[in-house]
Amino acid sequence: MVPRSVCLTLAGWVRPAAAPKGTSPERSLGSSFAELLLLPGPSEAVGADGSPFPRNRLLWRLRESVALGDRFSDIWDTVSLTSRRLILLFYLAFYGFLAALFTFTMWVMLQTLSDETPKYRDQISSPGLTIVPKPPGALEFSLNISKPATYENYIDAIKEFLREYEGKKQEHLLQCRNGTFFEQDNIFPKKTCKFSLETLGPCSGLNDVNFGYPDGNPCIFVKMNRIIGLRPQGEPRIVCAVKEGTEVNLATFPKDGRLDLMYFPYYGKKLHVNYRQPVVALQVQFQSYNQEVSIECKIEGSPNLRNQDERDKFLGRVAFKISLTQ
Amino acid sequence: MGKKKSEVYSVEVNGIKDIETTNEGDGKEKYRGLKDHLGHKKDHQKELKKELDLDDHKLNAKELEDKYGTNIIRGLTSTKAAEILARDGPNALSPPKETSEIIKFLKQMVGGFSILLWAGAVLCWIAFGIQFAKDKSASMDNVYLGFVLALVVIFTGIFAYYQEAKSTNIIASFSKMIPRQALVIRDGEKKEIPAGQLVVGDIVEIKGGDQIPADIRILASHGCKVDNSSLTGESEAQSRSCDFTHENPLETKNIGFYSTTCLEGTATGMVINTGDRTIIGRIASLASGVGNEKTPIAIEIEHFVHIVAGVAVSIGVIFFIIAVSMKYPVLESIIFLIGIIVANVPEGLLAAVTVSLSLTAKRMAKKNCLVKNLEAVETLGSTSIICSDKTGTLTQNRMTVAHLWFDNQIYQADTSEDQEAQIFDQSSATWASLSKIVTLCNRAEFRPGQETVPIMKKIVVGDASETALLKFSEVIMGDIMETRKRNRKVAEIPFNSTNKFQLSIHETDDPNDKRFLLVMKGAPERILEKCSTIMINGQEQPLNESSAEAFQTAYMELGGLGERVLGFCHLYLPEDEFPDTYPFDVETMNFPTSDLCFVGLLSLIDPPRSTVPDAVTKCRSAGIKVIMVTGDHPITAKAIAKSVGIISANSETVEDIAKRLNVPVEQVNKRDAKAAVVNGMELKEMSQEQLDEVLINHTEIVFARTSPQQKLIIVEGCQRQDAVVAVTGDGVNDSPALKKADIGIAMGIAGSDAAKNAADMVLLDDNFASIVTGVEEGRLIFDNLKKTIAFTLTKNIAELCPFLIFIIAGIPLPIGTITILFIDLGTDIIPSIALAYEKAESDIMNRKPRHKKKDRLVNQQLALYSYLHIGILQSLGAFLAYFTVYTEQGFRPTRLIFLRSEWEDGNINDLEDSYGQEWTRYQRKYLEWIGYTSFFVAIMVQQIADLIIRKTRRNSIFQQGLFRNKVIWIGIASQIIIALILSYGFGSITAMNFTTLRVQYWFVAIPYAIVIWLYDEFRKLLIRRYPGSWWDKNMYY
Repeated sequence: MVPRSVCLTLAGWVRPAAAPKGTSPERSLGSSFAELLLLPGPSEAVGADGSPFPRNRLLWRLRESVALGDRFSDIWDTVSLTSRRLILLFYLAFYGFLAALFTFTMWVMLQTLSDETPKYRDQISSPGLTIVPKPPGALEFSLNISKPATYENYIDAIKEFLREYEGKKQEHLLQCRNGTFFEQDNIFPKKTCKFSLETLGPCSGLNDVNFGYPDGNPCIFVKMNRIIGLRPQGEPRIVCAVKEGTEVNLATFPKDGRLDLMYFPYYGKKLHVNYRQPVVALQVQFQSYNQEVSIECKIEGSPNLRNQDERDKFLGRVAFKISLTQ
Repeated sequence: MGKKKSEVYSVEVNGIKDIETTNEGDGKEKYRGLKDHLGHKKDHQKELKKELDLDDHKLNAKELEDKYGTNIIRGLTSTKAAEILARDGPNALSPPKETSEIIKFLKQMVGGFSILLWAGAVLCWIAFGIQFAKDKSASMDNVYLGFVLALVVIFTGIFAYYQEAKSTNIIASFSKMIPRQALVIRDGEKKEIPAGQLVVGDIVEIKGGDQIPADIRILASHGCKVDNSSLTGESEAQSRSCDFTHENPLETKNIGFYSTTCLEGTATGMVINTGDRTIIGRIASLASGVGNEKTPIAIEIEHFVHIVAGVAVSIGVIFFIIAVSMKYPVLESIIFLIGIIVANVPEGLLAAVTVSLSLTAKRMAKKNCLVKNLEAVETLGSTSIICSDKTGTLTQNRMTVAHLWFDNQIYQADTSEDQEAQIFDQSSATWASLSKIVTLCNRAEFRPGQETVPIMKKIVVGDASETALLKFSEVIMGDIMETRKRNRKVAEIPFNSTNKFQLSIHETDDPNDKRFLLVMKGAPERILEKCSTIMINGQEQPLNESSAEAFQTAYMELGGLGERVLGFCHLYLPEDEFPDTYPFDVETMNFPTSDLCFVGLLSLIDPPRSTVPDAVTKCRSAGIKVIMVTGDHPITAKAIAKSVGIISANSETVEDIAKRLNVPVEQVNKRDAKAAVVNGMELKEMSQEQLDEVLINHTEIVFARTSPQQKLIIVEGCQRQDAVVAVTGDGVNDSPALKKADIGIAMGIAGSDAAKNAADMVLLDDNFASIVTGVEEGRLIFDNLKKTIAFTLTKNIAELCPFLIFIIAGIPLPIGTITILFIDLGTDIIPSIALAYEKAESDIMNRKPRHKKKDRLVNQQLALYSYLHIGILQSLGAFLAYFTVYTEQGFRPTRLIFLRSEWEDGNINDLEDSYGQEWTRYQRKYLEWIGYTSFFVAIMVQQIADLIIRKTRRNSIFQQGLFRNKVIWIGIASQIIIALILSYGFGSITAMNFTTLRVQYWFVAIPYAIVIWLYDEFRKLLIRRYPGSWWDKNMYY
């Protein structure tokens, strides 16, 4: 297949130089042979670059390649030389047109959308929960007090995560009224409520820059996925419980793991530029070493935030394991 | 004159028809000599094709006794018979080898695309195995997919097997021909034994009505006549005696052949061959020795499967390599590979093709073409040469009066199938006399109790010629039996081959006329010899030179038409010499048989069926060459060929030209002659090259006096010209040729079971014209299959592109493997079958048959247009739907690029979209399924447009009419309904990966559907406008 198409390409270059203009494209290879043989001029044709090219040899090679006959032979047989250039041109034009068509339809489609809010949010009617830091792979922390390497990454990740919440960075933000939605549908630009790190108690990083990890009381932050326009009903809070394993003390900050309503609704990345997501910190206070616990945190207290979906294990809840060794 | 006379078809009422064959002593040679042409064939076939080396017919009784160790009077002893039986085996034909059902079934399981799908399924399981080994909680998705793929293969396999089994009618026909019981002499006693127990050397007795139980050498015969038509194709009864009359065992009178029927008389014979060694047995094994050729459509489908599989595997491998080099894990790359294979393979197509073929087969069955092998449906359409039998297929297979000659004038009689009356001039008094002779000098009688049956359909006891005359006179005069009663027969000499005449003496029905009437018919020259006067206009005139010459001219003319001519004369016996009480004695012939009065000639022919000339014309305009192959005499063959148009009115044979130019045959340039009549004798002498030359140079060919083996050679010769050859036949002797032909057509009424068994198609009405309807259907289905395939291939690109872009640009997967299967085996199935109902775009019977090597089912144009034009358009439309869904939910196209690894990571449950919202894995997955569904719906919507454009290849949709093919609308409805059910009915079953869809997503691809339709109309417009242009050549598939 390869030698043969190469061959024909060669012929394609040679022929136009030698063939009289206006020869009609031929369908069958046989007749294009005939045409080649009937060409006027010396038996030595001239190649495209002007160098002499022995036509007989070319013909012979053509024949030989025909003899190689493969399944796609008809594809090459039926296409003669000038017509192949036309085909190339045609496809260029055709695909150019298709590209234009697709671009146009996409453009039209995009015109119908707003930059600020997606058209539909029905697939994320209820938010998921995630934790920071996030162990690689499955959500299983395995911490060794005597090996700081096992938790240093987590501390770094937490620091990185909390950087946005540092006091300096929130100076220009509003101190909102607790317990009510911060509605600002008609206010531009959207303002953002302050999230004070102090509320996170021992996990704030203000006092303990290691978030309790070296002491066997690691802090884990639970956050709720941002969803534009979400207005939780009731008093949403994150409730964590040990599902499996020995008794550990779980402390949530702010108090009761509350997510204050003032952080809702969210108006989207473009409008709500400095939005600070409310966070709940969970401190797992191990009583002894060499233990493993499974913990599940759920959103509770809000009827419109689901926390029990069979298929979606992260919808309104998150489960993880921590093992602590010495 | 003398020489010419011998060319005139021999004239007999009874007996063998070719006593006057010009070539003498051709004997074995006639059937031999074939082997020289077949030197290249396999040895055992050569053995079979070489004729019989049988010489028992030359031996006398004593020699036979010695040879077979038997006694003509006492037969074999029981012990000896048992010994021979143990040695030779039972006298039965070994049944043709059947492929076992399980092998047939397994073949369906691995044929076509099945191997690819099996590979896909196995890869799925391997992938799961690896995943499972790594992680015990691995998702079962791959296992399910593997099972789905395996199920697809198994179900399509079962379906194809069922279709084939339904249409393949397996008849163990040869066994049916075995006679049940035989009367044999053993140990000096007559015994009735099962024919299977017969052994060589047994003495058997047969009588009228029996089937001959084995090949026998006749030892004694009393008026025994046999019907050898199943063996030689000659429909005349042949007498059997113990005389050695011919070198050739097939021609000699003292051999009776296994499975032929004894019509009348009795005979005693010695068994000389049993079971598979009989002539029939050898022909039967010859038929099974001839390989079944692959049908053209099977070759086409194979070609197509190779193309698609080649594309699938090469794209799969290329992208596997790309994926691996893009640092995808090998396991994922394997899963991509499976996706690509599944997307590329049109899983439902082969089933759709099978259904389309069987629909056509059903339609053809309604038109009297019963198709045994589904693929033969199309073969008939690509047929370029039809080798047709004469008797029964082209002709009515019954003798009929064609011409009359009296009063120096030739009258033409009606030879149509259902004649009610004859319209020639019947006013002459000569006709009155002639009709009386025809009526009276005839031994044939209607079987009683058929008063209500039309004359032409009444059953007659008597031979073919007499039957013809009886029916002829019954049509004109009515109630012949009554007339005969009124003209009581007083004496009769039946026909025999020495006299060559038949004579009877009657009282007249005129009460005033006491004379006896002597009537006689027979070979015209014999009758004329006995006459001294001739009747002209009712008046007896002396038979002079000029009237004798007129007779000769008429005789020659009718004979030249290939008709069998009979002469009629009468004489009123003078009352004084032959009074009432005169004792007529047929032994001593005490009455005059000379100086009679010649009345007229009647000529008989087996006339062509009335529908045949039209059908032959149609074949010709359809570019199909019709070749007549017959065992009959060249003159008759040529006459029939001319009358049905196989040799057209103005074409000449070499001999005709020679005659016209008055030069020897050798001097005529053979290429000047359009027509050729080739004798079996000449054929025997021809080399392969010479035969090829005949087949190439002459467009109108008749092969006469051919043997079964020669038929095979002719078929092979035609096939060497790359022709697709259809062969019609009815006899056992035809079965090898039927099998060898690309499509064997057996006659349903006259055909022997062996012929039906070897054939691919059975003509229920034995009518050549039915073949033409078959051709039409075959051509239509080829065109429609092109449409079906084009329709099916198109969406493969729309199924494939998602995978490619998924791999290269890292977008979330636009369509899942299972969803693809739902398109291929769900929404697309009924529409692709619906295209089989499409009417022809133009008169398909006005174009040449397709060249089996050049006009492919799936050609470059079809593949490119489907894949690279409409397929790409469809992909764009589907991607528009995909991007619409994602964008409207928050993921803009720019966000999607290279999102794949995060998107699919189950540990990332806060993936941010373009608007800052965060998604859990499951929410993304569900969105992905919405994407699948919308992509699926977009393909479905555009497939509706594709279906509509595929209705025609050249004509505008408006020319074809949108509503002529109602099944298309059923197809479209099925597409929509299946999609609705999948989306809304199964929306909650996640295993299917379908979700409910917002109403507007069903319409996203509609602009593209319209573009597809407009583009195709534009394409067709240019094709119609500029035929032969570059556009036409590249865009017409």
